[in-house]
Amino acid sequence: MKNIGHQHPLSKVIAEINQIFAEIGFVFAEGPERELVKYNFDMLNVPVDHPSRDMQDTFYLADAPELVMRTHTSAVQVRYMLDNKPPIRMICPGKVFRNEATDATHEAQFFQLEGLMIDKDISLGHMKGVLEYFFSKFFGGEVQVRFRPSFFPFVEPGVEVDMKIASQEGNKLSGKWIELMGAGMVHPNVLHAAGVDPKTYQGFAFGMGMDRLAVMKYGVDDIRLMYNGDLRFVNQF
Amino acid sequence: MLFSRNWLQTFFETPLPQAEVLEEKLTFYSSEIDEVTAVGDDMVFDIKILPDKSAWLLSHRGVAKELAVILDLPMMNDPLQEAPATFAETDTVTVNTTTPTCDYYSVARISGVTVGESPAWLKTALGAIGQRSINNIVDATNYVMFHLGQPLHAFDAGKLVAKDGVNNITVRSAKDGEEFKSLTGEEYVLTTNDAVITDGHTDTVLALAGVKGGVGSGVDESTTVILLEAAHFERVATRLTSKRHKLQTDASKRYENGIDKTLAQYGLVAGANLITQVAGGEVVGMKSVGDEAITRRAPVSVSLERINSIFGLALTQAEVEIIIKCFGYEYTFKDEMLEVTPPFERNDLVIAEDVIEEIGRMYGLTHIVSIAPTPMAVAECNSRHFYAEKIRHALMGIGFSEVYTSTFRANDIVKIENALASDKGYLRSTLVLNIKEAGERNISYRDLLGLTAVKIFEIGTVFGSQSEEFRVCLLVQSGTSYKAKMDEPLVAEALTTLSEVLGVTPELLSNENGVVEFSLDALLSQLPAVTAYEEVLSSEAIRYQPFSVYPSVSRDIAMWVDESTIVEEVATALLAAAGALCVRITHLDTFTKDDRTSMAFRLVFQSNEKTLTGSEADEMMNSVYSVILERGWEVR
Repeated sequence: MKNIGHQHPLSKVIAEINQIFAEIGFVFAEGPERELVKYNFDMLNVPVDHPSRDMQDTFYLADAPELVMRTHTSAVQVRYMLDNKPPIRMICPGKVFRNEATDATHEAQFFQLEGLMIDKDISLGHMKGVLEYFFSKFFGGEVQVRFRPSFFPFVEPGVEVDMKIASQEGNKLSGKWIELMGAGMVHPNVLHAAGVDPKTYQGFAFGMGMDRLAVMKYGVDDIRLMYNGDLRFVNQF
Repeated sequence: MLFSRNWLQTFFETPLPQAEVLEEKLTFYSSEIDEVTAVGDDMVFDIKILPDKSAWLLSHRGVAKELAVILDLPMMNDPLQEAPATFAETDTVTVNTTTPTCDYYSVARISGVTVGESPAWLKTALGAIGQRSINNIVDATNYVMFHLGQPLHAFDAGKLVAKDGVNNITVRSAKDGEEFKSLTGEEYVLTTNDAVITDGHTDTVLALAGVKGGVGSGVDESTTVILLEAAHFERVATRLTSKRHKLQTDASKRYENGIDKTLAQYGLVAGANLITQVAGGEVVGMKSVGDEAITRRAPVSVSLERINSIFGLALTQAEVEIIIKCFGYEYTFKDEMLEVTPPFERNDLVIAEDVIEEIGRMYGLTHIVSIAPTPMAVAECNSRHFYAEKIRHALMGIGFSEVYTSTFRANDIVKIENALASDKGYLRSTLVLNIKEAGERNISYRDLLGLTAVKIFEIGTVFGSQSEEFRVCLLVQSGTSYKAKMDEPLVAEALTTLSEVLGVTPELLSNENGVVEFSLDALLSQLPAVTAYEEVLSSEAIRYQPFSVYPSVSRDIAMWVDESTIVEEVATALLAAAGALCVRITHLDTFTKDDRTSMAFRLVFQSNEKTLTGSEADEMMNSVYSVILERGWEVR
């Protein structure tokens, strides 16, 4: 039977990401999509009644104030550190939710890729190295990464990450800086809350939109196509 | 917040660099810039001020200070450099606060003002950052807020009651159910958790503390004496009031981000001076209650070794000291131990990492050097991912396509408190309904996609009242007409394939009408542990092509041809004849009878611009018939 089916682009992306990170020892971790507020916010140094909670529009569950639809895969950082002692090399690709109006570049549900690396001497230099390694393999070709100052409550210092794929003919993404994600050194309060001694251990965390990776890799023009089950889309992959 | 280059220039003697340079410097050393626009002879920057820096950077003084450090340019007049000035105390007003959410309240009495239009420079400055000019008094208070970050409010003293020539301002908790009408006319019902500014002689509410002024006490053309308020309200209380009444203002935003109480002292003097400058009159005096001590921040210590270990750099003490000097902080740096005492306004410098970030961003984060990762084996494999991949590839091998559908449903078990829309109010408890809908939607695309059946599956999370699990759901719809039927034999085939690949037969949660669902998590407990991942074969470069949103039209054709004729030859000829709107030709069947061979094809037409009518399709088929005739084939 020559009738061969099609894999959803996000599944393809997850499988490729896992393969690339597995080569450098990053474990594929998971956590629930319906998450406790304490993992999604409190233990990530996002205090209740603080303006930093407004950075993400959150879905709450009826009659369960202790629960949210996780707004980021960062919640898995805390869970993983509570269960595993450093050194830690972890990724978590997973679905997240934001209470935002949808359009061609925004969905209320989308996928994120979390990364976490903790040891005694892990620096932003290691993060730059890991991200350059990952993007180079994922997009094919040499990729440069640069950081800009930013703020996310769960990291300090916090950075915005841009990448640039070395110029390639016919590749519209190449040769220019593209803003990609937030990252930084895990905040000592987060390490402490997750049972890791910040005096001994340090490391980085990053979180990027996987839909965006798929959009860039395959040239998808509307993110909503990822979630409507339309075979005119899926069967191109 | 919007920032004007001309406004920023007022802090410097030396001309600031061009807008492009400022944009680049701010981007790489301070904050993200959303947009830069020309407004008259000015350039306006829309700078994304994030919560950590909002207490001091939501002001032109804050950004000017950043530029002073980044550009190593001395500020001509840093308004926060010297201790705050004061005015003589006046007996014409008394102030009380009875709520703990207001720890400093000051008011200046200014008499003899003339309310009118603002001078051009003030209108232009506010206009550049998108603020409408109201009158000289209100504009002056707004100017100071965008200049220093301290909200101010001007009351018309003539609209307050004076006893023996003395006004009284009392800050108190609101009463439960107390009504407040804002100066723009909206009405709010307050709770005891809100704080209000009142006329102490009448207990009339004048303003919602930290948020907005009320109707009836504001400045208008008849105003000649004003009471100018500069106060400090507690951040969380202000935030909750603002959220409770869905009323976020420039003032509430600054309080909830924790501007320091010392700032109010600078704000009052700056505001009063600006008002007398633009509206005349004179400052009679001031009155304040609360803690007037200038905030003294705790010193933060950090070692040179720690700074270097965070960035992966090897900076020397001398190099770090050059950076720290630019900030103008009070500091000591001995034996590679740095101790910084942050200025009062910097509530974001508390732990060592905060100071490390300051040093890093001014050193330049772009100078961080990559350290390549070392290859190593993973400590453990994710069995759910491993087996999900196995299931995917098994199903793809027999022609299934994978879909992702929405987690949200119109109705189910688990309800969302704040749903986006009424049809997205619940979490799915099964994949079955979603996949049925996806199946139905795709029936009409079968011809377009050249499918004989819609065969789809999803692997995703479902939610019970307490539980959450990964499930697999698959569906087959086939049929030779548009009346699709659920095809159970093909489902059975898929299940057999899965059992063979996994070595275990999944226990089905449901099996009805060509749709089956089973729990991946339940299955995992029966499957062997995973010790290594299978290699992901890198696929050929795929580029997605946008597809037409218009429906397609299909036409079948069958013809007699010579026995020697091959399918491709006919298909190519028909496709060429059918024209550009023929997007697919599918070979349906070939059989030979009495030395004659019959071939049947389905041609699918679709436009990118409109819905094709049946007669348009028939017209295109006429060209196909002509070619068949020319080639000596015979339509059946």
